[in-house]
Amino acid sequence: MKQGGELPWWIASIGVALGIVLLWQVAADRGWVSPIFLPGPDRALAALREGFAAGGDLTLHVTTTIEHMLYGWVLASVIGIALGALIGSSRRTRDYLGPTLEFIRPLPASAIAPVAIAFLGLSQPMVLAVIAFGSVWPTLLATAHGVASVEPRLIEVARALRLSRLQVMFKIALPNAVPDILAALRYGLTVALILAVVGEMLAGQEGLGHRIILAARSFRSPDLFAGVILLGLIGFTSNALLAVAERRLLRWQGR
Amino acid sequence: MRPQAPPLIGFEGVSLSLGGRLILDDIRLSIARQEFLCVVGSSGCGKTTLLRLAAGLLRPDTGQVTYAGNAVTGPAREVAVVFQDYGRALLPWRSAAGNVSLALEAAGVPRAQRGPRIAALLERVGLAHAADRYPAQLSGGMQQRLQIARCLAQEPSVLLMDEPFGALDAMTRQSLQDEILRLVEASGNTVLFVTHDLEEAIYLGDRVVAMRPNPGRIAEVFDIPLPRPRHQLATREDPEFLRLRRALFDFIQEEER
Repeated sequence: MKQGGELPWWIASIGVALGIVLLWQVAADRGWVSPIFLPGPDRALAALREGFAAGGDLTLHVTTTIEHMLYGWVLASVIGIALGALIGSSRRTRDYLGPTLEFIRPLPASAIAPVAIAFLGLSQPMVLAVIAFGSVWPTLLATAHGVASVEPRLIEVARALRLSRLQVMFKIALPNAVPDILAALRYGLTVALILAVVGEMLAGQEGLGHRIILAARSFRSPDLFAGVILLGLIGFTSNALLAVAERRLLRWQGR
Repeated sequence: MRPQAPPLIGFEGVSLSLGGRLILDDIRLSIARQEFLCVVGSSGCGKTTLLRLAAGLLRPDTGQVTYAGNAVTGPAREVAVVFQDYGRALLPWRSAAGNVSLALEAAGVPRAQRGPRIAALLERVGLAHAADRYPAQLSGGMQQRLQIARCLAQEPSVLLMDEPFGALDAMTRQSLQDEILRLVEASGNTVLFVTHDLEEAIYLGDRVVAMRPNPGRIAEVFDIPLPRPRHQLATREDPEFLRLRRALFDFIQEEER
């Protein structure tokens, strides 16, 4: 798309967002929804300002949630890429591991949480385990697919050049899987954020999930909305950062 | 013709079946060191299979393929393969320089030495200006030049070329024919060149092997006594060239009848 054609859309999308905020404000001011459940954007913003001010606890909770999300995601990504590469590179590992993975994969991460709690307690490692379990699948499957779908001609080129198995993996198969992996990593990060919040709600320690559930239980709706807004921002920003990284790494596809 | 030396590549009674079908039947052929041997024949005559056997990508059912007197058991670094589908044979995520680098990495050339060697190789195939471009940003002819550069990076004694110019337009084709002759002349390579273009085979080769299908077998071998260096106009107008062209053409026609 041309630069000139993009600008009006930008304005339009910002306009829509502002319109929704305005509608929200009007709904709150007119009392269409009880203020106990729906604070106006003004009150939500005030709660945000207060939370980040000296003595507020939001900075702690935000960093905790981001840490949970990132650690869990990195763990899931490392495991996903390693296992995926193993599964994608050999028919035998596919045959051996495939059925087991197909059984485990559809299990909802939330169903795994009680199991994780039983083994790890209401702890940080439990939260990370649940996040890693939930967000490992897209990366694992994408890596396995990308590694297994190398152009056969390139395998012949590798044979003609007498590349070792390890060289084929790192110079051909994994780079070939990079577009798939990047898309999966982006999706996995979203899943990681969701599960970070779920884990924090269950574990009841620090983090935005914990803070949101406390706010909800005590009908502090501005705090609740402040938490939700922050989660939205975290999700939006992390996704945008990965999109930039993706565009850089895949510039060979361009033009 | 170049002086006859003991054969570098030998097919000694080679037969091969694939999927229950006899593809090649009792192939006997020797390729001399520094010879430029072209193989022609209609599609399905097993000429690509012949090349893949020489590359060590396939093993014969009976008989053996020899390289410098030893049986070929697999691919070797001194034997480079130029594939027809250059678009698929290049790594799309690596720049032109990176693609040449692959062969050097495979040979265990230290990182510090790769840069200058890559630059020299790209220079040799006329791609010095395109070192940082990705394959998708190169034309077909440039992509095939790049694949040739990667093969030259192996410092091979033998180039196996499987219809390398078949997908290129006529002009690009002729300039690449001349470039490959020049490169081979300079490096003293032995070449096995598969093509379905009779004129190309005569223009390039010291000998042309004509194959017939069902099962694939060698039907006739033509010596090409045309002087070198060859010239796109002069060589193609040479009465001997025209005579050979007619002979090969008749031969192929006869088969189709």
